[in-house]
Parts: sequence; structure tokens; C-alpha cells
Amino acid sequence: MDITSLFAQFLSGLTYGTILFLVAAGLSLIFGVMNILNFAHAALWLMGAYFSYTFWSWMQGYSFAFWLSIPLAGLAAAAVGWVMEVVLIKRIYKRELYEQLLITYCIALILSDTIKLTWGVTNKLIVRPEIIQKPVFIFGAPLDSYFLFVIASGAAVAIGLWWFLKYTRYGHIVKAAVYSREMVGALGIPIPRIDTWVFTLGIFLAGFAGGIQAPIGSITLGMDTAIIIQAFCVVVIGGFGSLLGTLVGSLIVGEVMSFTILFWPEGAMVLIFVITAAILIVRPWGLFGTPMRT
Amino acid sequence: MDDTGKFVLQIEGLKKSFGKYKVLTDVSYSLPKGEIAAIIGPNGAGKTTFFNLITGYHHVDGGTVHFLDRNITNWPRHRIARAGVSRAFQVSNIYPRLTTYENVRQAILAQKKRTLNIFTPAHRLARKNTLDLLELTGLLSHGDTLAGILSQGDKKKLELALALAGKPELLLLDEPTAGMSSEETHETMELVKRLNREIGLSILFTEHDISVIFGYARKLSVLYQGMVIAEGTPEGVRKNEEAQRCYLGEEV
Amino acid sequence: MKNKYLFPVILFLLAVALPFIVPEFWVHVLTEILIMGLFAASFNMIFGYMGQLSFGHAAYYGVGAYTTGLLMVKANVPLLVCLPLSMLSAGLCAAVLGYFCVKLRGIYFAILTMAFGQLVYYIIFQWYSFTGGDNGLQGIVPPAFLGKAANPYYFFTLIVVTLGMIALWIISESPFGYTMRAIRDNAERTEFIGINVQRYMHLNFIIAAVFAGLAGALWGPFNRSVAPDLCSWQHSGMPVFMTVMGGPFNFLGPLIGSAIYTLLMAFVTSFTEYWPMVSGIVIIVVVLVMPGGLLGLLRDRLPFLRQNVGRAKETNG
Repeated sequence: MDITSLFAQFLSGLTYGTILFLVAAGLSLIFGVMNILNFAHAALWLMGAYFSYTFWSWMQGYSFAFWLSIPLAGLAAAAVGWVMEVVLIKRIYKRELYEQLLITYCIALILSDTIKLTWGVTNKLIVRPEIIQKPVFIFGAPLDSYFLFVIASGAAVAIGLWWFLKYTRYGHIVKAAVYSREMVGALGIPIPRIDTWVFTLGIFLAGFAGGIQAPIGSITLGMDTAIIIQAFCVVVIGGFGSLLGTLVGSLIVGEVMSFTILFWPEGAMVLIFVITAAILIVRPWGLFGTPMRT
Repeated sequence: MDDTGKFVLQIEGLKKSFGKYKVLTDVSYSLPKGEIAAIIGPNGAGKTTFFNLITGYHHVDGGTVHFLDRNITNWPRHRIARAGVSRAFQVSNIYPRLTTYENVRQAILAQKKRTLNIFTPAHRLARKNTLDLLELTGLLSHGDTLAGILSQGDKKKLELALALAGKPELLLLDEPTAGMSSEETHETMELVKRLNREIGLSILFTEHDISVIFGYARKLSVLYQGMVIAEGTPEGVRKNEEAQRCYLGEEV
Repeated sequence: MKNKYLFPVILFLLAVALPFIVPEFWVHVLTEILIMGLFAASFNMIFGYMGQLSFGHAAYYGVGAYTTGLLMVKANVPLLVCLPLSMLSAGLCAAVLGYFCVKLRGIYFAILTMAFGQLVYYIIFQWYSFTGGDNGLQGIVPPAFLGKAANPYYFFTLIVVTLGMIALWIISESPFGYTMRAIRDNAERTEFIGINVQRYMHLNFIIAAVFAGLAGALWGPFNRSVAPDLCSWQHSGMPVFMTVMGGPFNFLGPLIGSAIYTLLMAFVTSFTEYWPMVSGIVIIVVVLVMPGGLLGLLRDRLPFLRQNVGRAKETNG
């Protein structure tokens, strides 16, 4: 195996890792702040992809349609997420673990069927603008030129979130809430409002990731069930609530998948779950997380 | 240790810190068999941590804990309990969704090593022992009540019953009367005293209530900033200047 | 005390009588209710009694189903021999995987069981030469003495499931069962009364898996085939749904839940394909308005349903 094809494999792992990062970042944020493992996250991601398709088809003919539909997809998903939080999720923060998991799982079921009802069962395809139809070559390795945009978006989201958490007032509140909700509440900050906005931000990221995903292949029903479990793996490996952890976790999962496929294609997913289980057993709070309050 | 036979509990140079905070710096302590002794100290002196180290709740950083002739340092919790060290917690630590009867029966079945039995209905087992222990601790009338809705004082009694069910040779009581009325306090401490006298049970307790300490303890130790700074009979400790300055002077 | 057996006996008599009254389609539904009911009851040994949420219990159900499927298709082993072997294989799987699961609690327990469940799923899914991969195994037929009609296999299932439920009932009422409730209520205190909590949880995990394996073993001959989806995390969600619907704090809750869920599904899918959405809405309503499930709701009114399994909402610290 020569260097070029190894590098190509690395790039494909990097792309997949980036997509996982975009999905998992919101998942990790929501879990970190609210202790809710959101099963519906991937359904909202898929919804984002369909939203993106809809916006793109409305604006077809305009040169910006393709690019604008991606952030719009994020906003549309965020609106759904906001409603979801205010109507349902708010009621279950103090409930037992199984009730929280069941509710978000049921929301995932409802959203998946809503997608089916709204967009039908036929696959949707977004036609890319010309400039990203041909592959680019990096050190001789071919790369889908859209993937450059995917990787750049992932980096932008990572930097944006890092900046938000490190330098803004709201970011500080969110970070403090990851450590202790009670403390933040005791400081007189309205926890319910923070919850709503963090949840909405998390779902925005999911919708945005869906928008990014949409032009990669065709958009199909059921894409969400495979990715939600992988996103869980990412969050477990990196550590709930840790942005850096989510980033590292997604790159690990992306690259492990990408390289395992070379010599043991059947074992790629098996290996991911072995890694996830091993991390959980040895270090349940993940590589970069902090041991959790219970 | 020549005099091992005389002591139920012997502790040498016990150390524990949580991160940067040294809770116990160097505690040595011996409890003669059949003694009833108290440990006092201001909040945060390390009383509960001391119990936690003896019973295996926390990992011991340094030093040794000998129970009878065995070195039980850092044994798993269930083995220490099996060996004969029972403990009643400061904040009642019971089974809220089982009845009082079931709580006590569970602890008795555990002591009798019957808990791996998967065939016999539990309600047929240990009936007499359970009722006896409920009566002893004054809980007989609450047998069918869910433990979670007992009054604070009854929860503490149940706490004591769970500890006694283990047929211990050493009983550790962490503030056994906290949350009890003065009448309940009296009843409970009389029971403790009776157990000590009748079956020679060795008892070590912590307490905030000075009248309980001076009324029941025959040996008193003062824990302050992670060390035992004074020890002796309650009257002797009362006269000890250092103890007065560090503890009695501040809080009483 | 006598009439606590009244309700189960009525249920059993009903189960004996129904196939003579209802059309064949509903006999199939009843068979499914029984199989899934045993699966859910085995799950509830971990959930209702031990207080941990397993989101990978389908793995052991699937291992049981595949053990029977493989033995029957590839080696022509009689079904009655397959059943105990399925219990054994599921139990062995749980002995290995459960050893790690019981080191964790709460959400970590849920995620680790799910990760292991997916691990089993992908192994079965990818191992074409042995398991048939995503094609599954076809041609698993009930033994000849049960014939081809729906009723005989239904009664066979009824006997096996009843025996399985009785075994689970005996275990749940034994000192071991009460130790599980104790661990659920307060694992820490249980250590201080001298019980090795992890070892007991591990044993219970294995017991739960053994009966999930038995339920799985019944599925193949009923459905004439097995597929990897039996192990998937979505399938692990089924016993959770059923148990929560029926009531996790009642021994028969999971079985009742299975009846509600399966009947509702059979009914709803006959006129719409949007069953997932309907089930989602139903379960959200159940969780929000009757957290003790159906039996939890009825228990206060019907004294014969009262059992000392532990109550849903009467806790405080």
C-alpha cells in the first residue's frame, strides 16, 4: 500500500469524522448541560437534510441557493427543537433516567414518521454547483471537493463553539452548568431559559450538520438510525459535555472506520463498539470528560 | 502487638486526603473489647471519614485498621461487614421502597448467607428473627409501613436495626440520635447501653448531643483537624485544656 | 394472601380459552404476546427489580433465537433440546458481557448494554457464512408433532412461557429477588449488610439473559425465520416500551404491557403504516400521565393486584 492511498484513506476518515463531530457536538452539549441523552438528535439531523433539500429546491436557479440552504436548515431544525424543548423536554429534566430516554426515543419515532409524511419515501438529491463537482487532488490523493467545505465547516463549528464557551458570558454559564446546575441556579441565573437555548443551539448544530450532509449523497429515510448510535459512541469515547472530547472522539471513530475497512471491512463497526465498550469500562466519563455527578 | 486480644479495633497512623484536603493526618486509636466509646469533634474534623475508612467506604491512603486479630485495611465493604463490623449511618440509609419488615429481613438474610437462595419464598424465612429485632428496636408497629415514609426518628431506629441484624462484634454509630425526639433519644441510647452490657457488644459512636456523650460513653476521644488530640474518660477530657480550647470551648 | 394468585390464574384460563374463540390471525398475535411478554418479563428482572435500564437486552434474545435457528436448520436438533441450549448460550453471553456491565450504573449501564447489544448485532450481521448475515436464517419450522396450524404452536408457547414466568416469579419472591430490590433501592447499604453487590447483579443479569434466550428460542419456529434485527437496539427498546406500559413495579406488568403493545400494533398496522408515530405518542402519554404503567394505575383500586414488588412513586430519601 502506497502513501497516496493511505493519505486518501486518512482524508475519507477525516471527512466522516467531521460529519460525526457536527452531529455529536450538539448531542454532547445537551447531555453535558441537561443530562439528557437525546435519542431524537439524529432524527433532527435527518430533518435538517430534508429542510436543506426543500430550501434548495425553492431557491433553485439562484447561485447562492446551495450554500444558503445549509444554515437555513439549521435554523429550521432549531425551530423544531425549540418547540420540542418547550412542549416536552422541559417536563422531563427531573424525571427518572428511563423516562427521559423513552421520551426522546419516542420523539425520534414521531419525527422519523413526520419526515416520511412530509417528504415521502423517495430519495432526495441536491445537485451541486459546478465548482464542487470535480475532485481535487491533495498530494496526489483525490478528494471530493465538497469535502473540503465539509471539513472547513467542521473546523468553523469547532472554533466557533470553543470561542463561544471561552469568551462569551453565555458560554461561561453553559460551562458552569456542565459542572453544577445547582450552582448556576444559586447564582440567580434562570436555568430554564438556559436549558431552552442550549437545547435549541444543540438542535441547530444537528440541523446544520444535516444540511452539510445533504449534498454528499442522496437523502434517504432511515439514515438517522445508523448515525445516532455512532454519535453516542463518539460522545462516550470523548466524554459527555467535552467539546475537545467530541472532536477527538469523532476523529477516532472516523479514522478507525476508514482504516479498518481497508483490511477487515466486516469488522469496522464491531471495532467501534469494542472501543466504546472498553472506554466505558475503564473510564466511563470518557477521554476528556470529568467524572460525573450522579 | 501483644495485646491484640484485648482490643476489638486497633488503628495505626490512619491517613486520608481528598485531593489537596487532608482530612485525617495521622489517627491512631484503640477500642478495648466490650467498650462503649464516643468520638467528638467539630464539623469537618473527620469523624464520618474515620468511620468510612474503617468500614471500607473510602480507600485508606496510609496506616492500618485491625479488627480483632485481622488486618482489614482496604477490604471490600461487604467483607468488612461480614467479618463483624456493622454501621449505622448519619443520614439514614435504608431501603425506601421496601417495608420496614422487609428492610430488616433483608439484613438478617444477608447475615445468614441465605441471599443466594432463589427457590424459597422470602416471606417464609427468618420470620421470628425479624419480628424479634423489630420489637427490640421499637419498630414492631411499623412493620408494614414503607421505610421511605417513616418518620425521621423511626428511620434512625431502622438504621440501627439494619446494623444490628449483621450480628456485629463492633457497632459503629454515626450520630445515632440525630433527628430524634428526646424521648426517642433516651430509648435508643438505653438500647445501645443494654446491648453493650448484655451481649458485650463493642460500640463506637459519634454524637453532637453532649448529654448523650456524658451519659453513655465510658471513653471519649476528641478528633480535631484530622488528629486525636485528647483521649480518656469523659470527665478527664472535660478537664483537658487543649480539648476545651479546640472543641468544647468553641461549640458548647 | 390467597387471592394474589387469582389474577394470574384468570389470565392463564383466558389464554387457554381464547384460541378456540378468535380467528387464526389473532392466535398468531397471541403467540407473539406470550413470547414478547416473557422477553419483557426477563428484561424487568434487570429494570424493575435491579433498578438498571438495559438497552441491549435484545442481544440475548437474539442469541437465543439464533442458537435454536442454527441448531434446527444446520443440525436438525429437536426444538425441545434447542430450548435449554438457547438458554445456555444466552446465559454464557451474559456471563461474559454482563461482567463488565454491572461495574456501571445508570446512564453508563444503559449505554454499555447498548454498545454490547450492537456488538452482537454487527457480529451476527456480518458473519454471512455462519449466520446468513442480513438474510437471516429461513426454514425454521416447528416440530412435526405440532403440525402446521397456529393453535398447536400457540399452546406449546403457552406452556413454555408459563413455566418461564413461574420460574421468574419464584426467583423474584426469593431472598435473591429481594436482594435485587434492595440493590435497586440502595446498592450502597446492601454492601454494608455484607452482600457483594456486583456479583449479585452479575448473577441477575445472567438469569435475565437466560429467560430472554428462552423467549428468543420460541421466536424462530413461530416466525419460520430469524434475522439480525432481533438483536438491534430498536428491538431492545421493545421490552422497555412494554414494561413501562404495563407497569415495571408489578410482576405481570411486562406481560400485560406486551399484550397492550402487540394488540395495539396489530390493530393500528391494519390501517396505517405510521405505527412508530402512534406508538411514540402512546408511550409519551403513558410516561407523562401514568408513570406506574397500567397495572400501577389499577393497583390502588383492585386489591388483588397488590404485590410487594416495590412502589413507583412513594420514595423519599
